[in-house]
Amino acid sequence: MTAAARSDDAAFAAQRAAQERRKALAPWLLMLPALIIVLLFFGLPTLYMVRMSFNLHFDQRLYVPGFTFEHYINLFSNPLFTGAILTTVKLALVASLATVAIGYCFALLVWLKPARWRLLFIGLALAPLLISEIAIIFGWWMFFPKNGLLSYALLSAGLIHDKVSLMYTEFAAFVGLVYVTLPYCFFILLSIFDGIDKRLLEASADLGAPPVRTFREVMLPLTWTGILVAFSQSFIWTMGTYATPSALGPDTLWTMGFLIQEQMLGKHNWPMASALAVVLVAGVAAVMILTRSMQSERNSFHV
Amino acid sequence: MSERAPRSAEPLLLKALALAFTIFIIGYILVPILVTVVMSFNGAAMIRFPITAWSTRWYADFLGSPQWMDALKNSILIAFGTAAISTTAGVLCAWAFQRFHIPFRDGWYILIMMPLFMPGVVLGLGVAIAFGGISFGGYALYGSRELVMISHSLWAMPLVFMLMEATFKTLDYRVVEASHDLGGGPLRTFFEVVLPMVSTGIVSSLLFAFVISLNEFVMALFLTDRDTQTLPVLMWLSLRSAGTPRLAVASVILALTVFACLTIIMLWYVRQLRKVAR
Repeated sequence: MTAAARSDDAAFAAQRAAQERRKALAPWLLMLPALIIVLLFFGLPTLYMVRMSFNLHFDQRLYVPGFTFEHYINLFSNPLFTGAILTTVKLALVASLATVAIGYCFALLVWLKPARWRLLFIGLALAPLLISEIAIIFGWWMFFPKNGLLSYALLSAGLIHDKVSLMYTEFAAFVGLVYVTLPYCFFILLSIFDGIDKRLLEASADLGAPPVRTFREVMLPLTWTGILVAFSQSFIWTMGTYATPSALGPDTLWTMGFLIQEQMLGKHNWPMASALAVVLVAGVAAVMILTRSMQSERNSFHV
Repeated sequence: MSERAPRSAEPLLLKALALAFTIFIIGYILVPILVTVVMSFNGAAMIRFPITAWSTRWYADFLGSPQWMDALKNSILIAFGTAAISTTAGVLCAWAFQRFHIPFRDGWYILIMMPLFMPGVVLGLGVAIAFGGISFGGYALYGSRELVMISHSLWAMPLVFMLMEATFKTLDYRVVEASHDLGGGPLRTFFEVVLPMVSTGIVSSLLFAFVISLNEFVMALFLTDRDTQTLPVLMWLSLRSAGTPRLAVASVILALTVFACLTIIMLWYVRQLRKVAR
């Protein structure tokens, strides 16, 4: 072996090593922008928020560094906050149940209809997704009040004799919330339906099962996972949404999201706002973990 | 035969129910949209049905108001920024996940997806208190459009990442290998071979991010000031004080911006399809 060949070998090895090092570094370089965003603007603020929730608050200052459980104790003893927690959970529960029920029927309808209707319905379901929540709120805001479309339509139809207002009621908040979450539910459930062989329905009918029984014993078990996912998705969404209920609902309808904004922007009480946010996130996480475990239980049961 | 008779009534009932539900769902989804469109052409100063005078005066009012036009400009600038930031970060990250071995892969995956499941009010609060007082060389980060872009990217980037991860999985990697064999470096291969092949996914990502940012207003409410407030934020603040048909115009214009983007994407798809056909 000549010296030239040996130095070639060495150069080749060095090149190889550099290449290996570059290869090890490459994924991190590629992930860098995403990691900066997530760690610096999500991880860090979250930790900061948790720390903030233990700070003190007095003298009308935004916060005073310190360590206290005062805000958490306040959160679970002050009727204002316990009421808000209860309202949030109740509203989210009712709205999510309704969303899943309506979304399920809607998805079932689209799945069963001939394909030529499909695109039209999907376009319809996409509309609330593409419209800003604020525009949706405002749309309902013009529909429900005394001088709104609903009152006018009922009056012209002769169904009522006096103008009615459903504005600032829990019903209006509920209608708005379901509207905002419905498309997510619909698309989750439609994707589940699309994975089901339609001939199963025929088979069930041929075996003599009436539609109700087919639904209960064939469709429901097959779509159970989808229902759970759709429910948890809309529950999480409605827990965090505060604009719709606070704009359409009564003044007493205080959700956690509303109180976070109130404490942060109105009362300038950062520790309290943070404590509320921490509890809200804990609630969201609990719901996610719960549905995840229900899902896996169900799956293992089937296998 | 006698057994079948009562059963034929059931499909009829089901059909009636299906029809009723179809009418209900179409009405439910269309009501707020139609109300808004109709109200935007109201000639009066009040929101009141029935509408007696029709005019486009509120459109002229919107276009002539510096406050509302500035808000629209802010919204569009922030949406472009969000689209650029989240698509760049999301595409690169998805490529790393596809092509490289990454230690603690699942952990990183969960971390990147997590902001998507966070309520906007929590994200806005976190970013506001963490970056509230920080400024770079006299340029306050808080209240700046850049901070809103990055905050909106917390929602948009995980979506882009998810979409692109799925797109990269469908790629024909023999083409990538061929590019390497022909002497194309990893960078050149990525930009000249991979990116053109996933252009549809990238355009969809840009659109998703743009629309999310354009419509979002809770984070923006926490993070903007008078000079940088977006159109949805201004709408929210005006709704709290008094609703005028100007708000309906703002809704229509916001929606039109989204639909303009959708149209551009549609044209792009059609062009791509033609290219493939040729």
